[in-house]
Amino acid sequence: MQRPAADRLALPAGLVVTLAVLGVVFYYPVSRVLLAAIDPGGAAFAPIRAILADPFYTGIAHYAFADPLGVPEGIIAWVRNGIPLAAVEFGLFGFTAYQAALSALASVALGLPGAYVLARYEFPGRKTLRSVTIVPFVLPSILVAVGFQAMFGATGLVNEFLVAVGLGRIDVMFTLPIVILAHAFYNAPLVTRLVTAAWEGIDAQQIESARAMGASPLRAFRDVVAPQLIPAALTAGLLAFVFSFMSFPIVLALGGLELQTVEVWLYAKVQSLALEEAAALAVLETVITLGLMYLYLRYEATQVGIRGGGTSQSRRPLLAGTKTLGDPRRLAVFGYGLVAAIVFLGPVVSLILESITGPDGGFTLAYYEFLLAQQASAAVGTVKPLPAIQNSLLFAVGTLLLAVPMGVIVSIVATRDGRGGRLAEALLSAPIAVSGIVVGLGLLQTLVFGVDVLGHRLTVTGPVAVVAAHAVAAYPFVSRTVTPALAGLDDRLAEAARSLGASRVRALLTVTLPLIVAPLLAGAAFAFAISIGEFDSTVLLAEGGGSYTMPVALERYVGNRSLGPSLGPATAMGTVLLTVTAVSFVVIDRVGGRYDG
Amino acid sequence: MSATALSGCAGEDGTDTEPTGTGGFSGTLQVATYSSFTGADTAGNWLKSVFEAAHPDVTVEFTTPENGLNQYILRQQNGAEIDADLYIGLNTAELVRADQELDGSLFETVENDLERADTVKSALQIDPDGRAIPYDTGYISLVYDGNEVENPETFDALTSPEYEGDLIVQNAQQSDPGRAFLLWTIAEKGPDGYLEYWNELVGNDVTILSDWEPAYGAYMNDEAPMVVSYSTDQVYYHGEDVDMQKHQVGFLNDQAYANPEAMALFADADAPELGRAFMDFVLSPAAQREIAVRNVQFPAVEGIDPGEEFSQYAYEPPEPVTFSYDELSGNVNGWIDDWAREIAN
Repeated sequence: MQRPAADRLALPAGLVVTLAVLGVVFYYPVSRVLLAAIDPGGAAFAPIRAILADPFYTGIAHYAFADPLGVPEGIIAWVRNGIPLAAVEFGLFGFTAYQAALSALASVALGLPGAYVLARYEFPGRKTLRSVTIVPFVLPSILVAVGFQAMFGATGLVNEFLVAVGLGRIDVMFTLPIVILAHAFYNAPLVTRLVTAAWEGIDAQQIESARAMGASPLRAFRDVVAPQLIPAALTAGLLAFVFSFMSFPIVLALGGLELQTVEVWLYAKVQSLALEEAAALAVLETVITLGLMYLYLRYEATQVGIRGGGTSQSRRPLLAGTKTLGDPRRLAVFGYGLVAAIVFLGPVVSLILESITGPDGGFTLAYYEFLLAQQASAAVGTVKPLPAIQNSLLFAVGTLLLAVPMGVIVSIVATRDGRGGRLAEALLSAPIAVSGIVVGLGLLQTLVFGVDVLGHRLTVTGPVAVVAAHAVAAYPFVSRTVTPALAGLDDRLAEAARSLGASRVRALLTVTLPLIVAPLLAGAAFAFAISIGEFDSTVLLAEGGGSYTMPVALERYVGNRSLGPSLGPATAMGTVLLTVTAVSFVVIDRVGGRYDG
Repeated sequence: MSATALSGCAGEDGTDTEPTGTGGFSGTLQVATYSSFTGADTAGNWLKSVFEAAHPDVTVEFTTPENGLNQYILRQQNGAEIDADLYIGLNTAELVRADQELDGSLFETVENDLERADTVKSALQIDPDGRAIPYDTGYISLVYDGNEVENPETFDALTSPEYEGDLIVQNAQQSDPGRAFLLWTIAEKGPDGYLEYWNELVGNDVTILSDWEPAYGAYMNDEAPMVVSYSTDQVYYHGEDVDMQKHQVGFLNDQAYANPEAMALFADADAPELGRAFMDFVLSPAAQREIAVRNVQFPAVEGIDPGEEFSQYAYEPPEPVTFSYDELSGNVNGWIDDWAREIAN
């Protein structure tokens, strides 16, 4: 049968567009910055070598670069001295990896039970709760700092409660635990959402067959359910590590300079225009994060089992009358609910309360009146809330529409051919493995300043460029959620459809995609969230200051002194941001959910 | 679908500044500044409206690049167009950085072309080449809660057990007041002694947060009873329902670190004449009074009275200190780097 050319070319054409977008708003700008470290004009790689040989950055590992031949001797001397552990320093990179690993662990520990509850129990509001899980993801760090301060600070809610019940105060602000908790606040929702999507995609029939063949519930879980959850949980854990590894504002806002990370240092280098050193730090960061991602993807490729779609397991009712209080499993769920309420709901609710609390502690609407006054003001340079909301939504919808097809195309490529496909996916996932500061600097030096093309200086800015930049940052989330699901699908289903005469694209749209709606929706929601929360490239690419978004408006209100030095206006705008995104997530899930099963 | 939006390389419209028949100006003046300088009720908007009223054919436009002066240093380095005439909000360390990074100067010498340049307080002058002209200044000091602690009064007191865990400061790598406070300790303890002093501060459990907002927020939430801030704190906090004890201004060794804000004309400005006229206007007594009140900073020009409301609550130190351009040049990056390494270790 002769397939129409359009069908044969649809996927390659999609791939070409994807690569073109990536090339223009990511690879070209980023390579422009990173080249400064690789080819600084003097000795090649000199800035990178300087960092590797500097104990401040690499701790004890610097010997391997500064004096490789002396390493064995050094180790022998160290053993002779009685193996003093205090002599082992890990440097800035070591500390950064350490706190990222702890943050990833905390994210998985706090996120997994959430996935269990959402996937296995039925209760009123479950779908809405699932939709709004990733709201923390879009909160600007300055507001997370405000929320955490109000929740866990010296005079915060937790301490007030502890004192009220006669227990002592806790002093956790500006310590490593609070930074890790804040990273978990951002990343545990990622774990919950990805694992929930995987769990909902498990075919109940497989479990029933296992049980029918005599497997205990535990055995059925181990053999059927766990293998399908582990890739999702590890993916989310890996992303949590990568994000915490490159975390920057939250570390300094909640932790203080003694807990600084590589990214903090990178930012300082960019600020003082020490661009070679900044680029060298970024190259090393990227080598670590991308390398980790590639290793993981190779592992994942060996893990995915076959599944056929079908209907997901039915959920237990969470409330079972009087039995509820006697059931250890349900009690554990409530225990988790309490922890989640303190960690996730606490800072968010505190933030909302801050937006209606005046400096004297009393109720006030002054901050919302401020927003209305900004909206009504005719003064030049005023940043108004309504256009910010409109722009944010417009960019986010545009991002979703661009990032979802891009992500699906990359997933198809990744699942096609074994190892090469995984390498391709790792390289194509680079947008989440490269420092946002570097992307911003690259965009500035290329698209914003202009590029000489055939004697003309071309600049690429404005709404289309913003959407493209957002989509590039967002699509790896789509491909990361979709790839495992796609790899697990039985190819025979799509092949059957094609043998019945369906075109390749039609088979994809009508057979394959409907089987992976849950992961697709999770990816789409993340794409939306990434766009809503994005700040760096938005301010650079939004031309002339007219197309500012909610986080940009919020940042401007932080600096606005018309109500004195107060974060009140920012918390009010933050509440607006929370509300708009929460509603958007519910809408995305409701609209998308109609195509489910 | 195309991912690129093209815009040409055409120059700004209407930036020509042919003097009109009456000796006035016409055209557009592009002013690059920080974002809180413009907006409703700001110093920037006042300057714009009054200047435009005096020169009916002139439009003043503000642009607020996110990365401040670095935007223009990078533009110059990359051969991109400098799309502004005037930069407002420059400090000494930024000027040093611009000169260090660029072969030619980013800014034009204007001192001798301005009528009022010589009215600026000589202690605030930051540029030996007469390019950057200060228009106001802040003084970095402590703000402390008089209910909780006494005024420490000296740098040495801050490292004593009495003030253990009591101070919040900002990161000198990324915060203006944080950098000013670090420079102040260097002015006090010397380039050879400041790291040791900071080790004692860290030993006394000082908290170093990213920037002024989180630091001041933590102070207001009682995380610690002292914070590095500005000596104008009470201008925001006074009146019957405010606990003034919470807003005590503390000078150390009778000093505060002056952080003058300056303006400068870009070397390839499209409207240099207009730019100079605007700079002279910024230094006029009326503008100096308005800037002080709206920006909550002290006037840079000698003999300006910003009014009772301001003068009653804004404190000037007996002995202002600040590093000159020459002292910072070649030193400031190393000082900050060494400091951050010391803290992180």
